[in-house]
Amino acid sequence: IRFDAYAINTILLLFLQRVLLLVASDVDALCACKILQALFQCDHVQYTLVPVSGWQELETAFLEHKDQFKYFVLINCGANVDLLEILQPEEDAFFFVCDSHRPINVVNVYNETQIKLLVKPDDDLDVPAYDDIFRDEDEEEEESEAESDGSEPSDKRRRFEEVFECFYSSFRREILFDYEQYEYHGTSSAMVMFDLAWIMSKDLNDMLWWAIVGLTDQWVQDKITQMKYVTDIGILQRHVSRHNHRNEDEENSLSIDCMRIAFEYDLRLALYQHWSLYESLCNTSYTSANLKLWSVQGQKRLHEFLADMGLPLKQVKQKFNSMDISLKENLREMIEESASKFGMKDLRVQTFSIHFGFKNKFLASDIVYATASLMESIEKEGPETTNFIKALDSLSRGNLDKLHQGLDLAKKQLRAIQQTVASCICTNLVISQGPFLYCSLMEGTPDVKLFSKPVSLCLLSKYLLKSFVCSTKNKRCKLLPLIMAAPMDVEQGTVIMVGIPPETESSDKKNFFGRAFEKAAESTNSRTLHNHFDMSIIELKTEDRSKFLDALISLLS
Amino acid sequence: KMSTNENANAAAARLNRFKNKGKDTTEMRRRRIEVNVELRKAKKDDQMLKRRNVSTLPDDATSPLQENRNNQVTAHWSVEEIVKGVNSNNMELQLQATQAARKLLSREKQPPIDNIIQAGLIPKFVSFLGRADCSPIQFESAWALTNIASGTSEQTKAVVDGGAIPAFISLLASPHTHISEQAVWALGNIAGDGSMYRDLVIKFGAIEPLLTLLAVPDLSSLASGYLRNVTWTLSNLCRNKNPAPPIEAIEQILPTLVRLLHHDDREVLADTCWAISYLTDGSNDRIEVVVKTGLVPQLVKLLGCSELPIVTPSLRAIGNIVTGTDEQTQIVIDSGALSVFPSLLSHHKNNIQKEAAWTMSNITAGRQDQIQRVVDHGLVPYLIGILRKGDFKSQKEAVWAVTNYTSGGTIDQVVYLVQAGVVEPLLNLLSAKDSKTVLVILDAISNIFLAAEKINETEKLCLMIEECGGLDKIEALQSHENEQVYKASSTLIEKYFSAEEEEDQNVVPESTAASYTFQIQGNTPNTFNF
Repeated sequence: IRFDAYAINTILLLFLQRVLLLVASDVDALCACKILQALFQCDHVQYTLVPVSGWQELETAFLEHKDQFKYFVLINCGANVDLLEILQPEEDAFFFVCDSHRPINVVNVYNETQIKLLVKPDDDLDVPAYDDIFRDEDEEEEESEAESDGSEPSDKRRRFEEVFECFYSSFRREILFDYEQYEYHGTSSAMVMFDLAWIMSKDLNDMLWWAIVGLTDQWVQDKITQMKYVTDIGILQRHVSRHNHRNEDEENSLSIDCMRIAFEYDLRLALYQHWSLYESLCNTSYTSANLKLWSVQGQKRLHEFLADMGLPLKQVKQKFNSMDISLKENLREMIEESASKFGMKDLRVQTFSIHFGFKNKFLASDIVYATASLMESIEKEGPETTNFIKALDSLSRGNLDKLHQGLDLAKKQLRAIQQTVASCICTNLVISQGPFLYCSLMEGTPDVKLFSKPVSLCLLSKYLLKSFVCSTKNKRCKLLPLIMAAPMDVEQGTVIMVGIPPETESSDKKNFFGRAFEKAAESTNSRTLHNHFDMSIIELKTEDRSKFLDALISLLS
Repeated sequence: KMSTNENANAAAARLNRFKNKGKDTTEMRRRRIEVNVELRKAKKDDQMLKRRNVSTLPDDATSPLQENRNNQVTAHWSVEEIVKGVNSNNMELQLQATQAARKLLSREKQPPIDNIIQAGLIPKFVSFLGRADCSPIQFESAWALTNIASGTSEQTKAVVDGGAIPAFISLLASPHTHISEQAVWALGNIAGDGSMYRDLVIKFGAIEPLLTLLAVPDLSSLASGYLRNVTWTLSNLCRNKNPAPPIEAIEQILPTLVRLLHHDDREVLADTCWAISYLTDGSNDRIEVVVKTGLVPQLVKLLGCSELPIVTPSLRAIGNIVTGTDEQTQIVIDSGALSVFPSLLSHHKNNIQKEAAWTMSNITAGRQDQIQRVVDHGLVPYLIGILRKGDFKSQKEAVWAVTNYTSGGTIDQVVYLVQAGVVEPLLNLLSAKDSKTVLVILDAISNIFLAAEKINETEKLCLMIEECGGLDKIEALQSHENEQVYKASSTLIEKYFSAEEEEDQNVVPESTAASYTFQIQGNTPNTFNF
């Protein structure tokens, strides 16, 4: 079934002459890409990198390059649709797919000749058995095989329902339906790629850091369960101690260009070490939602919280770097203690930090925010791939300036998100549609352009839903998923729409909106574009929106 | 290194992608088939894929999307519920219960046939067959009974004991083709159980209404599935021996079979050929009934088609016919059958080679002019080819063909056989474990010696046998455990080799110059003279 990720090295690195690398626009993909690039570099594999932001670009990139390449590596794209069907490749084209999107399309799973899936062996794919989904064709074949043997006709024959082609196909449909109805994410592609490097004994500390950032991206984007996150952190922690223990004894010998990764049990306050503690508290979804900072009451609560910690407002509003050293000692413990009094028991998380030389220290989440912001920067500078390249570069340790640029953008983004969340809540823009909550951003809303980008819109949706759940008293509403829409392209009259699963503590992070969107579009003939690698993100003609939503409501109620 | 993907999002291209991805559905369909083929290959390559862990349908509707899909109301009834429904006085309920039963019986895994029988449902279902006022219940019960009858003999018996045969025969005339088709199918299952039920179906008068179903000017006007079902049921009415079906019944069916033999559907042709193969598998008068319909030329034509499902039964039928009289065999020869045999005797399927060689053995058992036709069609080298490297079953049949040939052939024909190189591969087969085959080979050798004696070429034959190592093999057989083998081999040694051995030590064999040799057959330089 699954491609043994670990046999791939031979195939990938020894036989491949030239490789086309198709990389999706998310931080995990970038990290996986960095690792693979480093592997390619040390084996002198020639490759061409093409960023792809959606199915269209993937298809176009494939069409443009299919004559020059036989080997295609897809990172964080391609697993969840029938690749052979959408790309129609020649028989001698091979696809290595490293993609965290689940469920993996069954044809991709069972086609071993052209499609090689890079999946960690312990990732449970729950794929339906081959016989159950492809059986009807098989039986036909077996039947005709028996016939072509020229064997005698059977003396008795039972009539199966397949004569009407309803039973099997409906059985098969059911199984496939069960398998395909929820979207979710598997192990981070960067981690899979790092595993590959490790198996090949070519893993470097840099690669390990990218794996960490990839995993952290999944966590920041809320793509995986807490359990999965903690498990994977554990796996990476073992690698971290393997790679970094030597330095601990000789900390004094750290040179300027040396890097060191360390496990941290740190605050989940976004970018706080590069911001002011106050700003970070205000713009972190966890604190802002729990303290209900959009209200006057909330602001009061924030000040009480700070007072409880004994942190003077003046200090807290300073850049974190400039805060009194004395205050910073035991800061984490202090904050944690007070936070739990205010109902925030999970203010600290297991994560990793990186030190570049003496001066520069970053948490993994810092890098995620910075890189993601660079990738979706709306400051126009040249072609669209510029953002991708910038984001990719910011992951190299030699590019601190790009990273800092990203951090600045990230702060802007977080502020924008927070302000939008506040205004949506205060103006009651989140409305219950019955089976789901719905919020639509109007054209002209501040920062609305930022939210035409998928990652930013998803972050906004998640923050908004968290805040909404904290703000509403309606118990039923607390359990609902959210659909969010934002203007996409005014000239073409389209909106971008994303659906996210309910915000519950035990959430399995599984998302059924992908299928629901498809069905609703189909039944209403809405002009939708299912271009994003996450099926739960679509584009839609603005004028079709109401009939589309009506169909969704009746479909889901 | 970095190639930029120059913004593929031209507005036009984009709109094109709104919905359906602008792709032709037939194109997609074609692709899907290809992929499936590939998948099957992949499956065969990797047994690991076979792990079977399903039947794990989730127990509850976890997704709101799920609710829309359970439109099959009667999907999972228990047998008790079915009994209740069937015994109710509500027609609608009875129909639903019957449908539920049919569904249970149609599922692939472990249909609860015995449970349904034990619940006493069969008489009810049989009574529903007569409910012309409600054709759906006729259809559902017919289907359910079909599937019960598809089981073991005991299960079929339960259906017959329920009085289903006459009820199904009445249904053959139903104005609804799907119902009459289901009745056809059910009767096929019952007749397929064996001679007894076959004859019972015939006795109840099934043949006439069955044939009436095909009484249309053009068979192509019938739905292919329908026609296939009728053909299959007719073939079951011709099937099985001890006793064979009543001769009158066969004479009644045959004209329709002849007609079906000219139809163009692969499956119909295959089943018709099978029917004919059943009918020809019997005594000469049974064969005569078939042959006199004049279908042999058409059968030979089908023998020459390349479709294995058709070639197999038509070869079987031809092979059966040549077990008959010389006249019946002659009809096969005159229909041009022998020209198909080069390809049959070298067919890639061993089974076809075997059946073809078996057929040859019955032709070479015929008259000398019939053997000559075999020679003239160049089939001897093919038989020798099988002796050399066929699979063992085919070799055995080829041995029979050779032995029959040597026993009935003229001296010239035997000479030709030897010159064609039969001796070495034939003698090589003496090492076979199967003593019957060994005996048949020894018989052939003895026949060849008889011919050699008549033309004074015994010595040369001895030399040939010795040179190919055959003498050692024959000598070894003298200690064979089988008495007949031991005797036959001893006789051969005694008669042809013992005296010569003495001479051999002293006298150089005479040159062949003066003698009348087998060479007159032609100056084939690569063959031995005696």
